[in-house]
Amino acid sequence: MKSIIYWLHSQPMRVKVLVFGIIMSTIPLLLISYYYYSNVKPDLEERIISKQELVLQNLTGEIELEFNQIFQQVQLFSFINDKEDKQPIFYDLLMKNTSIEEVVIINESGRIEEKVSRYDLNIPESNERWFSDEMWAVFQSDDRLYGEVEFNQFGQPVMKIALVYMENGSRNAVGATIQLQKIIGQISSLKQDDLSYLYLLDREGKVIAHQDYRKLWHQSPEADNKEMLGVREELVDLGWTIIMEQPKTTAYEPINEMFMKGLMVAVFVTLFVSLISIYAGLYFTAPIVLLDKEMRRLKAGHVASPIILNRNDELGQLAQSFNEMSQELQEKSFRLEQEKERLDVVVNGIGAGLALVTKNYEVTWTNPLLESWMNKEEIKLPCYTLIGGMNTPCENCPITCPEINDNADTILRMQRGRREERLFRHRVFPLTHAIKGEGEYLIVIEDVTEEKQMEEKMIQTDKLSALGLMASSFAHEVNNPLATIHVYAEDLIDRLEQFDDDLDEVEMALYLRKIKENTDRCKRITGNLLNFSRKSNWKVSQFDIKETIQNSISLVEYSLKKKDVLLDVSIQEEMPFMVGDSIKLMQVLVNLINNSIDAINQGGTVAISASLQNRNFVFKIKDNGCGIPDHEMQKIFDPFFTTKPVGKGTGLGLSVCYGIVEEFGGTIMVESRVGKGTMVIVSIPAETRFKEDKQ
Amino acid sequence: MKIKWYFFILTIMVLSIISFPFIGNKDQKPLKIGIIMIGDSRYEKLIGLKKGMKELGYDDWSTEFLVKSGRDQEATLASQIDDLLNEKPELIVALGGIETLKLKEIMEKKNIQIPVVFAGVAAPKEIGLIKDYRSPGGLFTGINNYHTSLSGKRLEIFRDLVPSISRFHILYDEDIEVSKLSLENVKAAAERLSLEIIPWNVSDSKNFLSEMKHEIQVNDAILVMPGFKMESLSKEIAQFSKENHVPAMGLYENETEDGILASYGTSYFDQGYQSARFVSSIIQGNSPADIPVEMPDNIRFIVNQKVKSELGIKLNKDIIHLAEFINPNAEGMSQ
Repeated sequence: MKSIIYWLHSQPMRVKVLVFGIIMSTIPLLLISYYYYSNVKPDLEERIISKQELVLQNLTGEIELEFNQIFQQVQLFSFINDKEDKQPIFYDLLMKNTSIEEVVIINESGRIEEKVSRYDLNIPESNERWFSDEMWAVFQSDDRLYGEVEFNQFGQPVMKIALVYMENGSRNAVGATIQLQKIIGQISSLKQDDLSYLYLLDREGKVIAHQDYRKLWHQSPEADNKEMLGVREELVDLGWTIIMEQPKTTAYEPINEMFMKGLMVAVFVTLFVSLISIYAGLYFTAPIVLLDKEMRRLKAGHVASPIILNRNDELGQLAQSFNEMSQELQEKSFRLEQEKERLDVVVNGIGAGLALVTKNYEVTWTNPLLESWMNKEEIKLPCYTLIGGMNTPCENCPITCPEINDNADTILRMQRGRREERLFRHRVFPLTHAIKGEGEYLIVIEDVTEEKQMEEKMIQTDKLSALGLMASSFAHEVNNPLATIHVYAEDLIDRLEQFDDDLDEVEMALYLRKIKENTDRCKRITGNLLNFSRKSNWKVSQFDIKETIQNSISLVEYSLKKKDVLLDVSIQEEMPFMVGDSIKLMQVLVNLINNSIDAINQGGTVAISASLQNRNFVFKIKDNGCGIPDHEMQKIFDPFFTTKPVGKGTGLGLSVCYGIVEEFGGTIMVESRVGKGTMVIVSIPAETRFKEDKQ
Repeated sequence: MKIKWYFFILTIMVLSIISFPFIGNKDQKPLKIGIIMIGDSRYEKLIGLKKGMKELGYDDWSTEFLVKSGRDQEATLASQIDDLLNEKPELIVALGGIETLKLKEIMEKKNIQIPVVFAGVAAPKEIGLIKDYRSPGGLFTGINNYHTSLSGKRLEIFRDLVPSISRFHILYDEDIEVSKLSLENVKAAAERLSLEIIPWNVSDSKNFLSEMKHEIQVNDAILVMPGFKMESLSKEIAQFSKENHVPAMGLYENETEDGILASYGTSYFDQGYQSARFVSSIIQGNSPADIPVEMPDNIRFIVNQKVKSELGIKLNKDIIHLAEFINPNAEGMSQ
């Protein structure tokens, strides 16, 4: 059963519709046929039995009537006292009853005294005995005698009967030989439409009439294995039994035939319904098959043909929807192709390497540019090895730590092939709708070597510009100690030439110490200047913030003095060392202080503060200068934007500051009010998050 | 797909053709029963047969009778039998001895196996139609009309009917076996009854009646034996009886109606009626070999009252208790 259900489930819909139709057409018919078959059967049995009883009652009635009439007529003879002229009575008896073959008068010794025969001469044989032995025995006691069925000389079945009468004290009898062929023939030849049959048994159970003549004169036919429907009637006086039987197989033939016809009708209906079911199956499934075919075409990337169904039912609407969907899909596919083409152009022409990476750091896809940067074998490596050159996943990578709300924006330094070492910007973007295993993260790698070089050039340019602007300051700054050195050295030379006796060792030591102090001061100024002006890459080191601030101030000290700037420096005590490039921070501070000096008037105030707030180093450079108008505020970080007179600035200062602070991973914020002053706040994370160069 | 459709429709058509006979009404063709008779004189037997069949439950539509008559010519009878056999009936009813014997001869010649019911044949065993009365054992069964064995009884009844008769002229046909056997039976009876008989072979001479006329004496009588020729000459015999005042006795009712004084035998109608039982039994599947040959259900003793009056003879009042009279209102009816 399961296999049938499984088979049915695996079949196409048209087969299912066919099976459904067949089941729905045959089962009700079969059930109805079976219902009638089982209900009609007892009724048929009853009718057959009734009919058989009626037939037997008629037959037994006829036979009993015939024998009774014969006995009555014979009895009449026994009542006649004057039996001298018997022949007329005998002839009358023969005339009235055609079954009587002969009539005899038998005396008390059992011999025929007189005889009238229908066929033979009326001359009895001498001493002819009429009774059989059995009848003779019965003759002694009974008044009514029945003989056995026997055959005459022509093989005809006959039976003798006799009626005893008393004459002159002696026991005589009137006997008659009865022909049975009429009774037997009537029973044997009675037409039976329903394959039932009749037979007659004598008192010894011998068949004396049967519709099957082969069973005639045999003992009662042995019941074969067939189940019978039948009735029997006893002829009490004669001791005969008449039986009518019908095998149940033939009795039920009409309803079996009806059942078979029902089956045939079921077959026809099934065939008819099969046709309808096939038509219905095709009617319902043909559009579906067509839809399926066109969907496959669509799936294979071909253009689906419109499905035209001239029907307004659900399938017609479905076809209409399919046509619309197909058209829309084709349009969207076309747009998608366009988008894909654009994306390919972008991906291939973006100038950045792109890679899809799974949660297991497995690189599943790279764009051609990234592929060109890598060897084929390398692409199979995990991303942290392929890109980062590390043996373990990066700590700050969103793949490793998804909770990090960062895209791991770092600058990498990579050696590719025979090319020189280049800088790459690496960023990781988690993909929200990625398919698992196909790359849940997009890695973007940009070659920023030129950009960085440009940035460096800008920084250096800005630095040189600042240095140029500060050159007179430096000259003054150096000039003062040099003048002092000059004075002390000249005075010492003069006193030595004059052999001043007062010039003792202590005095000389004082002179030399002053010269040394001023030389050291010059050295420090020039060293600071050299240090600031040195072109260098980003160098990470721990440095003292206070020292860096003081070095920065020393570079602009002359400018401060020149404008009589009141400088207020406030550095939080016990500030931790900062990690990063101190020169770059110094450049930021110098630029910002210079901007403040340029913004203030003579005798203005510049306040510099440094503190650690919320794990951030916060530097504030505040002045009470002219402030920045709002309309210029949004441009101040643009390169080459300046409000300073020509020759006073390059317009790169704040732009460079922005870039450096960004490198530190910090932020720069400007608050300004025109006429009141400006405050620049630089915030750099204490835990270094600057963009470090990596090998 | 188209091939599958064609195959499916073809299957339905084939199944329809095969199953149509099962679900349609069975077309029951009437049973063809062949009837062969020497002449129209046997027609009464056919009427009896039809009545018997009807009473046994056979409607007109269930049987079809193919009736062939020899028009009282033996040659014609043979050709009619051929025609009948060509029509291949399920069984044949032969309405007399000559028909049965001719049919047997032709069937054996052509080796045709069709059950035959003879509706009245005298001494069928003796003439070789059957092996035994209880088990005929061949294709033939039917009614032994007993006319051969009954011949002696007829002599006795004739004597009892007209006690004044002293001589009996016996008309028989030497060419007919049954007729000869009947004569032998009559001779035996005459001896037992101490009666004088004078046999006349009707096949010896065409004018046997004129020859017999010269031999007729007072108290003579004519007893007709079974035989086709005698049956066909019943009117002439009756005329002879009347003209010569010689009472005659035949076998059949029609002979009495033709002017013969009396007849004793089974009637044509009764033989036909009785043979219906054999036809029914064979239709129901019995073999004629198994169906015992029957004696006549009824032997009729018929007296023509008018002829009796014309002859001016007296009848025994005892025996007339057995008799049926025709023309009972004729002048001089003794009863």
